[in-house]
Amino acid sequence: MENAIISKEKLPELFTQIIAKNKLFAPVKENGFSLFKEVEKASEIDTSYVNTRVPPKSIIFKQTETLFHFTPGKKGNVEKIPEENEKIVIYAIRTCDAKAFALLDPVFIGDFEDPYYSARRRNSVLIGLSCNNPGPACFCTSFDDSPASIEYVDILFTDLGYKYYIEGNSEIGKKFLEDHKTLFDAASGEDQKSRDKVEREAIGKIKRTMKLTGIVEKLDGMFDHPIWYESARKCIGCGTCTYLCPTCHCFDMQDESTLNKGARIRVWDSCMYPEYTHHASGHNPRPARMNRVRNRVYHKFNYFPKNTEVFGCTGCSRCIEYCSANIDIIEIINKIGEVKE
Amino acid sequence: MVDQKELINAVKETVSREDVRYIVGYEEGTYGFETAPSFAYTSDDARKFIFNPLCTKNLVVYPILEEKLPLKREEQEDDRKIGIVVKGCDSRALVQILQEKGLKRENLVLIGIPCTGVVNTKKIKDKFPNQTEYTDVKEEKNHYVFSIEESVQKIPKKELLADVCKECEYPNPVIFDILIGEETEVETEPTYIEVREFEEKSLSEKWEYWKKHFENCIRCYACREACPLCYCKTCMADFLDPQWIRRSVDLSENTAWNIMRAFHLAGRCVSCGECERACPAEIPLMKLNKVLEKEIRELYDYTAGLDPEEKTLFGTFNPDDPEEFIM
Amino acid sequence: MKANPYLPSLAIIEGVKEEVEGNRAIKTFRLAFQDDKKKNFSFIPGQCVMISLFGSGECMFAISSSPTQKDYIEVSVMKHGKVTSALHKLEKGDTLGVRGPYGNNFDVEGWKKRNLIFIGGGIGQAPLRSVINYILDNREDYGNIDIIYGARTSADLCYKDEFVELEKRNDVKAHLSIDVDEEHWEKYVGFVPDNLLEVNPAPENAIAITCGPPIMIHYVIQNLLKLGFKEEQIYTTLEMRMKCGIGICGRCNIGNLYVCKDGPVFSYDQLKELQGDI
Repeated sequence: MENAIISKEKLPELFTQIIAKNKLFAPVKENGFSLFKEVEKASEIDTSYVNTRVPPKSIIFKQTETLFHFTPGKKGNVEKIPEENEKIVIYAIRTCDAKAFALLDPVFIGDFEDPYYSARRRNSVLIGLSCNNPGPACFCTSFDDSPASIEYVDILFTDLGYKYYIEGNSEIGKKFLEDHKTLFDAASGEDQKSRDKVEREAIGKIKRTMKLTGIVEKLDGMFDHPIWYESARKCIGCGTCTYLCPTCHCFDMQDESTLNKGARIRVWDSCMYPEYTHHASGHNPRPARMNRVRNRVYHKFNYFPKNTEVFGCTGCSRCIEYCSANIDIIEIINKIGEVKE
Repeated sequence: MVDQKELINAVKETVSREDVRYIVGYEEGTYGFETAPSFAYTSDDARKFIFNPLCTKNLVVYPILEEKLPLKREEQEDDRKIGIVVKGCDSRALVQILQEKGLKRENLVLIGIPCTGVVNTKKIKDKFPNQTEYTDVKEEKNHYVFSIEESVQKIPKKELLADVCKECEYPNPVIFDILIGEETEVETEPTYIEVREFEEKSLSEKWEYWKKHFENCIRCYACREACPLCYCKTCMADFLDPQWIRRSVDLSENTAWNIMRAFHLAGRCVSCGECERACPAEIPLMKLNKVLEKEIRELYDYTAGLDPEEKTLFGTFNPDDPEEFIM
Repeated sequence: MKANPYLPSLAIIEGVKEEVEGNRAIKTFRLAFQDDKKKNFSFIPGQCVMISLFGSGECMFAISSSPTQKDYIEVSVMKHGKVTSALHKLEKGDTLGVRGPYGNNFDVEGWKKRNLIFIGGGIGQAPLRSVINYILDNREDYGNIDIIYGARTSADLCYKDEFVELEKRNDVKAHLSIDVDEEHWEKYVGFVPDNLLEVNPAPENAIAITCGPPIMIHYVIQNLLKLGFKEEQIYTTLEMRMKCGIGICGRCNIGNLYVCKDGPVFSYDQLKELQGDI
């Protein structure tokens, strides 16, 4: 099926059909902010949001994951947990968060395959929702993406007021359109124009720009620059920027057990904490906030591009918006760009 | 309103002193309604300093965050004073730390700001969601005045004022070296009306309320790091052996974390509201702190952070202390 | 479907040898895999394994035995933190989890015919022991071998009886040292980097391999350069806090490389190019 239209009245029926066969994750409003949650009925979904507070990476790369169970102690044993194979649909994911999966895939499914991430990722369908009202610090356009980029999702919805414009991208996306075609109408040339207009207007609302030309090479020569002390001075050392980041993937592994049963869990960790790199011997390769702030910036803008040829940032703006000390990654990168070599 | 020039001059003069290393205050943030901590090492740096109702952050956390890294060969420790711009609540946090001997008074210079309340930045963001440029706010009688895209917007103060400021008893710094402007008149006595209303609820209603908040906690520890009074060398949450709180992020461990943190602040919290402001999951942490503040006031007639010479609440014993809760 | 890299295989402790006593105690554990598939566990000197004690946690250790020894692997563990303290309480017959082998390795193939100088300090001798024993088992393939090894005190030296055996051989030279003088100590007194200058190995056709505390490695490399060694003739193996062991969890990076996956063995010319916190 070619690009389609669905009227907003028919949307609940579409969700009912999706929920019948899949776990549906969609934004819901709770305690005054938006979060991706598993929804049981269409009415729970609330798309009046710029973006969710915690990125949907948490659906695939859970904050807490049980890796396996064990019998604790010196006569220990291991007990595997069954692989998850439920179908997952993530609805209303934004460009920035969908792109994050494209960045995380080579990390989790590379030389080694992380079975927990890869099982969910393989079983997931991403339905994007174009971002008609980007937030004040958003900057996906700096990475040549658009609030209505289709390349990172299987299906893209764009809100045209009383209806949605629907585009299928991948094979999965095209099959999805086919499977639910009784709910859709064919999109007209006018619809296509309205969709493009919505995208142009959304792009126009993004006012902030991160200047990325030559940044990777520039950073190669700035490891010992005083800018890291200046940026880190404000940092209070919490993990907000990393936990809310759609591309941060660091984790800790811990054994949690009672006397006769236990589980090895993994849980998100943050390079902003001193304990993160602290050796048992007492040595810490990143002892100061300067080292840690620098590592975060280098990871996204130097190490990531060196290892995978893309920046490890998608411009979602969460680390800027929720930093209680106004540490602003756009400002840091632009300042780096201005430093005379 | 604080006279900007007077503030800048005071900072310039102070930072020029030989015994002062730097001063931390506020500057315009990078976008919207954000302000940022500002560090003045020279009198030139002082020109960036501002104070307005957007200056929410409790800066007392910064001298606590000073890192004592191993000195390089022939490097000497810099023991010059650190200056801080403090509002009423900030100064009380500092008094509490002084009482606990976490910092020394002689290592600090305090530039006091008589405060008239700060805004709840989240509420402004909701009103003007697309504001990209830094936008100043001025206070005029009972209104906040914003200039947005050449139009002037007036919003009643009570619509935007931070909750913690609504019942603030100490808007004026309780200790300072320099005071900028005139002291603010104190109008309020705390009524703890919200706490009292909450206490009326049934146990299951209370649990439902907290459950839905604690479920959203991501354990980023922004509350802890933003709080000037959370300065333990090793936090109980970071202990591995014994592990008081598991690393698993679930309702049980999140509840343990948030409740334990609140208890560790009993008789110490000064109601600056910084934990709640920093929380990305919008957990109403001040609701916990306020219950403890009220209890302590009723039990011991004690208010934290008023007199640096006073002993801490739990560092003293008085024969008249109520003890019916002790087994 | 690839195997789950987080699942350890079970191994039984076949023996525990006390290398060093006291506060900085070191024990060597000999482990035999229970699972038949793992009987063929193969690795190259320099590689590491993740060892679990279920309920206490997991730590990365260099394998300190040689792959020429097929029936077991050995790891030498210094008592430092939560997991290593728990490991030190274990005895023969107890069960551990093992994942790996992880990381890159010493280029034992490329070093054939070369003269080898090993410079170790304290527990840093563990990964060197693996390659030394491998090379001694293939002795005819290699040139001269010098082993420079030191610790704070004579009691802190690892593999003491093995050194006694080494000293009896005439196809390898061992140069032991302690930091501070003791009664009855007749060998070198002073830091390992100084002993290196004393031994004064010739750089021609040589490879130097060093492992020990970061500060020792630093001065050993400086002294090797003084002796005329080229950067690409110097190898070290690094240690970092690790959790996953497979380059995902993030913490062991130096620049864009992960010590667990891209290391732990680095040549000095590689290391010098790497910008990062070590």
